[in-house]
Amino acid sequence: MDGYFWAVLAVGVASTLVCVAAGAKGYGPNDITILSVAAVELTLLVYLGGSIVSAVAGGGPAGPAWEFWGYLLTALVIPFAAVYWSLLERSRWSNFVLAAVGLVALVMTARMNQLWYGPDLMNALGWPG
Amino acid sequence: MAPQRTKPPTPGKSARSSGPGRLIVAVYAVFAIAATARAGFQIAVGFSHAPVAYSLSAFAAVVYILAAVSLARAGTRWFWTSVAAVGVELAGVLAVGAYSVFRSVPLPDATVWSGFGQGYGYVPLVLPLVGLWWLYHNRAERKH
Repeated sequence: MDGYFWAVLAVGVASTLVCVAAGAKGYGPNDITILSVAAVELTLLVYLGGSIVSAVAGGGPAGPAWEFWGYLLTALVIPFAAVYWSLLERSRWSNFVLAAVGLVALVMTARMNQLWYGPDLMNALGWPG
Repeated sequence: MAPQRTKPPTPGKSARSSGPGRLIVAVYAVFAIAATARAGFQIAVGFSHAPVAYSLSAFAAVVYILAAVSLARAGTRWFWTSVAAVGVELAGVLAVGAYSVFRSVPLPDATVWSGFGQGYGYVPLVLPLVGLWWLYHNRAERKH
């Protein structure tokens, strides 16, 4: 697990908690919940930028490259899709949709870390599977 | 939840994609993306490696796409399409899950439904149950 993973973990979990709390209180999507999702997007954009620099510098993903980049680009689209879907109906449930973004980003980043470092290094780091 | 009920759904929009349905459709959409990507990747990398498992992955992907689209749409036909898709999903996760757990010769590669969706936090097992409950809750004769 690298710094990008821990960053997505921190921002993603925070965003999920904020959105769940807002949904539980009965609020619809508001500036705070949408900005928390934007923070997840920003973190993923930093991951994208950092990954491009690392790949150009010679250290591309150890696993299949297009699978890694496919995950990253999909992860970058999901926050936009979630915000779009949530704004079509501004009920409390849309905040639960936004809450899912942080968790999905976290799971996808864990997989991207696996793909970037490859199975050998992941085993060395004690990451299962 | 009570205050939400007082707001009538927008005309022409499906009650199935309203309220908790927003979340259910969103989760189905995520699984449609995940299953499609997984199946596409598996088949592109080497279909002959595990044709049965990869065919099941592709089938699961189609079921998730159909469920997500049909749940988001209004009308009786889409309702029954949802029932069929979610029903097939439940049957699929139970059948593939049971097979993967109890057979001595496992499938050579995992699918979304292997181990009752273990690799996806058992969401594939819970999701069709929630989906069927939600469809029953929103059946045509029910008046809110």
